[in-house]
Formats: sequence, C-alpha cells, structure tokens
Amino acid sequence: MPQPHAAATATTDYIETRRHTLRKMRMLMVDGNLTTNLRSTEAGVSARVHQGGYWGFAALPGAGTVEQVAQVQQQALGNVQAMRRFGAKSTLALPGGSYVGEHLYRGKSELTPAQCNERLQALHAYCKQRYPGLKSTRFLLSEEHHSKWLTTSRGGDSLSSIQRALCYVTLMAEADDGSPMELNQSLSWKGSAADFDWSPEALAAQLDELHSHLQAKRHAVPARGGMHTVVLAPALAGMLAHEAMGHPCEGDIVLGGAATARLLGESVASERVTMVDIAHTWQGQEVMMPVYVDDEGTPAQDAILIDKGRLTGFMHSRETAERLGQAPTGSARAYAPGDEPLVRMRNTVILPGSSTLAEMVAGVENGYVLMKTGNGQADSTTEFMFGISLAYEINNGKLGAAIRDTTVSGSAIKVLQSVDAVSNDMHWEAAGYCGKKQPMVVSMGGPALRARAHLGGQ
Amino acid sequence: MDLQRVAELALTALKREGADASQVIASRTALTEVNINLSEPSLLRSTQSQKLTLLGLWDGRKASTELSDLTPEALSVAASALRADAAAAPQDAANGVSSGQGIAIARGPLESDLSALTDAAAELLEFRASHTPSMTIEEGVASHTRAEAQLLTSGGSHLSRTLGWYGLSVFGTARGPGRDGTVRSSSFNYGGGETEDLRSAPASSRFGVGDMMRELTRSIETKGIADCFGGKFTGDVVLTPMAVATLLEWLHEQVRDMALISGSSVYRDRVGEVIASPLLYLSSRFDGPGIAAISADGFVAPPLQLLNAGRLTTLTPSFYGSRKTGLSHVPTVASGWQLASGATPLADLMQGVHRGAVVGRLSMGNPASNGDFSGVIKNSFAINNGEVGAALSETMINGNVAHMLRDVVAVSAERIDTGGWCMPWVRVSGLHFS
Repeated sequence: MPQPHAAATATTDYIETRRHTLRKMRMLMVDGNLTTNLRSTEAGVSARVHQGGYWGFAALPGAGTVEQVAQVQQQALGNVQAMRRFGAKSTLALPGGSYVGEHLYRGKSELTPAQCNERLQALHAYCKQRYPGLKSTRFLLSEEHHSKWLTTSRGGDSLSSIQRALCYVTLMAEADDGSPMELNQSLSWKGSAADFDWSPEALAAQLDELHSHLQAKRHAVPARGGMHTVVLAPALAGMLAHEAMGHPCEGDIVLGGAATARLLGESVASERVTMVDIAHTWQGQEVMMPVYVDDEGTPAQDAILIDKGRLTGFMHSRETAERLGQAPTGSARAYAPGDEPLVRMRNTVILPGSSTLAEMVAGVENGYVLMKTGNGQADSTTEFMFGISLAYEINNGKLGAAIRDTTVSGSAIKVLQSVDAVSNDMHWEAAGYCGKKQPMVVSMGGPALRARAHLGGQ
Repeated sequence: MDLQRVAELALTALKREGADASQVIASRTALTEVNINLSEPSLLRSTQSQKLTLLGLWDGRKASTELSDLTPEALSVAASALRADAAAAPQDAANGVSSGQGIAIARGPLESDLSALTDAAAELLEFRASHTPSMTIEEGVASHTRAEAQLLTSGGSHLSRTLGWYGLSVFGTARGPGRDGTVRSSSFNYGGGETEDLRSAPASSRFGVGDMMRELTRSIETKGIADCFGGKFTGDVVLTPMAVATLLEWLHEQVRDMALISGSSVYRDRVGEVIASPLLYLSSRFDGPGIAAISADGFVAPPLQLLNAGRLTTLTPSFYGSRKTGLSHVPTVASGWQLASGATPLADLMQGVHRGAVVGRLSMGNPASNGDFSGVIKNSFAINNGEVGAALSETMINGNVAHMLRDVVAVSAERIDTGGWCMPWVRVSGLHFS
C-alpha cells in the first residue's frame, strides 16, 4: 500500500510517521492447567512533529490508510502548536542521517496453538514424572513480533521487524522447613516459538540441572551480609551491563544528571571490561534484537560505552545527541503503536575475556558464585540491585552450600573497577522487558565476571 | 462504532462459532499528555486506542484474543480463529464466565481540559525552579485519560464503565556539589497519582510529589551505614507510603490465583487468623480515580476488607481460581487499596526510632515464596535517637515480608493518597541493616 512520504512543511522542522503492528502470544500453564491462552494484535499509525523546540505526537488505531496518516500528522502538528503556550524555545537541528531499507526476520513457520499446547503439556508431564518430589510446575510461553514502517522528512523510508520468543520454566518444591521455594530458568531466542527446540528431550539436561539446583536450595543457608568476592555467572553480567551501567549511559539519563555525565573519558572499570550496546551485528552474526534503523529513522550504530575500562560514549536519540554534542547512535525506540520514541538500549553486552569460569571459581578462597537473578534495578548514581535466586558459597576454590534468596548490590563503577577476571564465554538473553515510561524488548549478554560486591544477609 | 454494538456483534460471532460460553470486552481509551523533559516542557501527546477482547469456551476448552480492529469483518475472523485456538487447549472444568452481573459506572471528567494540563505542568516547573533548583525533572507528565469499556458475557452479564481522570507524575534526580565540592548525583525517585479534579490543589502538593522533590535535593550528599552507625546492626525502619505499597504487593500476590493454584501461598489455610500486626486494616477503595469496581473476569467487585486488625479475612481467587481450588470466589480489582491511618503522628513515629532509617523506596528482588527478601533502601535517611540525619547510600536491609507485616509497631496518622492507593507511614522493628 503506498504511503505518503512524511514531509516537513514550512511550519515544521521535522516529521516522522510510523505504522506499527505488534502481535503477541502468551500461554501460561500452571501445574498442567492452561490458565492463559491469549493472542493479540495491535495496529496503529503515529506521527511526531518537531517545531520551534517542541514536539507534538498523535496516534490512532488502524492499519495506516492515507486518510489516517493525514489525520495523525494534522493532530501532531496541532499538538506542537499548542505547546507554544509555554513560550518561545530554541529549536533543534536534530542531527542524524536517514535510512532506506528493509530488515525482516524470516524464521520457520509459526507453531500452531495446538503444537504449543502439546509441548507445554509434554514439559509438565516430563517434569512431574522425572521429578516426583515437585510441588508444582509453571511454564510461560510468549512470542512478540513488532513490524514498523517508518518514513521521515529527512528521506527515511524503512520497514523493519523484531521478533522474539521466550519460555520460562519454574519448578516449585518444599524446603526442609516446609516452606515453598521455587527456581526458574528463562530461555529466549530470536523469532517465534518454532525457531528453537524447547521439547523435553532438548531441554532434558537443563531441566536436570535446574532440578538439581532446586534440591540444593532445600538445604540453603543464609548469605553472610557484607562485601564479598563474587563470581557473577554470565547471566548476571548481562544484567549488570544493562541495569547498572547501561541505563546511566542513556543520553536522556545523562542529561538528567546521572553520575556518568562527568565521567566521560575517565576510568570507570577494570581494563578487562569493555561494554557495548550493539546495534545489530556482533562477530558477523545478527544479534537477538537487531536495530538497523531506529524509530526516528537514524541509521543505527554500535555505541561503545566502556572501552578497556574507560567511559567512551553514550546512547542517543537525535535530540540527546545534539544536546550533548555527540553523534546519534540510532537508539530512539518506541514500544507500542501509540508510543513516542525514547532513548533505549538494544543489545547491551560486556565482551568476553580470557579466563574460564572454573578457573575463576578456583581462585576464590572465600566468597560466592551468583548464578541466577530474577530481576534488577539501577540508579542514576550507578548503584544497582539484583535479586539473586540461585547462588553457592565458595570455600577454598570449591563450591559449597547453596544460599537462600538474597540481593547483590553496589556501585557499578566500584564493582566493575574491582573486576579481576573475565571469562571467555558469552551468555545472551532477551527475556523480560526493560521499563522506562514504556516497556521495551532488549537483549543483554556477557561473560562471567569476578569482582567485589555487597550481598544482603545477616 | 458504538462500543456496546461492537461487543454485541462479537458475542453473536462467538455464538455463531458454537461457543458454549463467552465473554467480550470492547474498550476505547483517549489519552492527552503534556510531557516535561529535562525540566522543560517538551511534548504534547494525544493518542487513541481501542481493543476488543474475546474469550470463548468450547467443550471446557478456553482461548482468548485481543485485536485493535473493531470492524465486523475483523471480529468475525477473530471469532473463527479463537475457536481453532481453543480446540488446541486442554479441557478444564474450572473454566467459565460470569452470569447475571450488571453495573454501569460513569465517573470523573470525561473531556480533557488542556489548559489544566499545561497549568499543572507549568506549576511543577515553577516549583522546581523556586524550591528545588538542583533537582532535574527528567520526566514529568500531566495527563488526562478517558477510558470506556463494555463487557458482555453469554451468561447475560453486562458491565460498563466510562471513566475520566487526570494523572500527574514526576521522575527525577538532584545533582550538585557535595561538602568537598565534588559534583554528585542523588538516587532517582518518582511520585505521582490520579485525581478527578486537577485544579483543586497545586500539582506540587499532590501525592507527596513536592516533598519527594525536596528530599532529592537533600540526598546529593550521602553516607554509608559504617559512617552513620559504625557498621551492620539490627534496627527499625519507617516505611514511607510508597514503600508500604510495595510491601503489600507481596501480600496481594499471596492471596491471588497464581499462589493459590500452585500451592505456594503461605496464607492458603490461614483465613481468620492474625497474620499481621493488629494495627493494620487493609481495605479496598474501588471507587478511586480511574478505578472501576469490576473484576477482569466480569464480576462486580464489592467493597472488601483484607486485613482487619491484622486478621486475614479472605483470599481473593478469581472465578476460575475458586473453581480450581474449591475456595470461595471473591471478585477483586488490582488497584484501589487503602491502609487505615493510625494514631501516631508522623513526627512521633520517627522519634520513636532508636537506630534505623526512614525508607523512601525499596529496591529489591521479588521476595521469595516464603517472604524472605533483601533489598537496597533508596531515598532513605538515617535515624539516630529519633533524629533524622544523613541520606544513606549502599545500604541493604533483609528480613521476611510476612514477619514485617507482624512486626509493624506504629502506624502514622498521616497518609498519602495517590488515587490507586492510600497509605500511611509505618514503623517496623527488627530489620537487619548491612
């Protein structure tokens, strides 16, 4: 269907128009009961206008007919003009190029609901049969597919898609004292549920390992609160990259007064640490959330945030790049059809080093290995907190008892400065959502890190 | 098209597909939003969205779908696809839809007053400039929402809501020189809420927003617990209303479907028992701004008291959850809860703390199923011998949420009302600081 090109007029500095379709699937099986069996489709068209230093945005539901495009453009223009009541403001040049192209993910044919249900039932049956002591199981299967057609007054015209699927496996048992306890494993991948083998046979080793950890947690001991040497397993390093240093390196957060604002060029981590927000490709492979062009039509570039320990850059929209005098990185992303673009991460990773996880554990006399996290939060100060749902003591270089759920926290800068070993492997994950006014699908990744951090406990 | 008409067509389409039972919700939302970015007015956003949610049961098999295209052709296709989705689902005798429910709720300002929004945004900016200049409003929003929905079921339920409300929110950080001249940043914090009358009070005086902004400016310079208390200790916390609301989320989760069906709820068999401090009275307020007393599964939600002097009065399984577990069905709504104010003035609540902290925000992982948690306290200040002192950094507390509910020793007379919740400050004893 032809779409009129967004064109700046005599009264606008810049205009972008986005037709966005968001399809989701969510199936939740609680102890064999399919409690959620939902599919959704949301389609909408939006326009955003910049004029005289202000923005106007409007969105309507629909596939984006010529009439709807004209309507949202007119409404966005009316909105930006209404902002004049706040007085005159310096206009922005909004640097950044334009992009013409198409990037669609082409995976396998999607699974039918029946196939998804069969696999969920099979997983439940397998776990109940193989692990008879389980109290219950929970499996969440989810798919999400964004398709965006963007045109801008700078000549941009792009069609791009992002598609991810995930499966959360949660096993629940009783601790020695009879209290409930659970442990989960998140699996995520690019594409739909069809693009990864999540059958019981394929996951058997991971399920055995998860169950083994759950059994270990039955006799878990409390963590000793305070500073410790910790080995952050690869799954946690990605979280550290995203939450603790990623957010404070988003251009709008920097402008808002984040601690990183005054640290550009300074040492913020050990020389062993290099951290990048990857746009679309790493080592020749397309990453999990490939962004070739952002939702302002800016061609996406990798943002090297930390290079061998030194803070080297931030992630930007056109506006934050201009305000900070840096180059746009193509990091402006909108989640839903009715959302405006914000500075968001894409694929934020700490790059691998040269150690092995076994060596890193063996080198700890007294500490902990932190293996799973449920969630995390960070602060503008770079202070962070991750919930730890699986961890073990390390005594004289060997794994000891599992510890109860705890929290690891600290200043990301201090923690990263204390890193003395980085493993040579890499864990990628695209589960869950990043939250910042709007949700967002992102990926994160990293190797294992050995550092000093603060554990919650008595 | 009229929403009721859309819902009726959808119900007819599902019946035509042979559904044994069905529920449809047709909804439409219009949002007008003035955004502040980096302490400047930035964006005016107006969006419309619409959604049709179809839920159908065939032979005990359930599926649901949502679509934004409300045309008769689209819903006909969706109804047909839904039948195929349900055919793939397992049979479950607990599936069902509501019958004979009826209510029509219309409340709040249905039309947006743009000048009220811009005035509120301007007032927040003026307050910041004159009272908290070291604080940056990274994101501020003054918004109006109009939300309409029509819920129909094959069992004859018809529940409608037409709500209008205003919202205000501020998120930001303070930055400035510390005592040694080095420029530092505070932790971020946020505040906000909903109201049906935006002009009745200054924006900065609502929802504790102005106090939150002032406290940020006092949080640029921080100390660790080693400096404030000499190291790890066991003491009291005074939880601010936002932190109390966070704590109570765990309690709500414990009495809902997920925990009840999976068997992980620690309160499954404790209705009628005292599970919390006798100072705690937790009840619904389902008539708050933007809230309708209609459960997601199509039942009218009557007023509800969850805690009465610390006694758990009920669990809150949905219709499905009740049929699955054999528990009594208790319709409820996710937001709209209040904790009764206590008898202790806030100043006295603080003065009663020998060693501890007033906690603005709890940054913590999801508490374990048994309530164990540890978390970083944010936007928090040390209390020594009843005196509120330095802002704390890198300080953790750990404990157990169920124990904390029992260990509440005082509840403030003052409360903050955000529309979605209305909470006092509470003092809890026996928390481990590290």
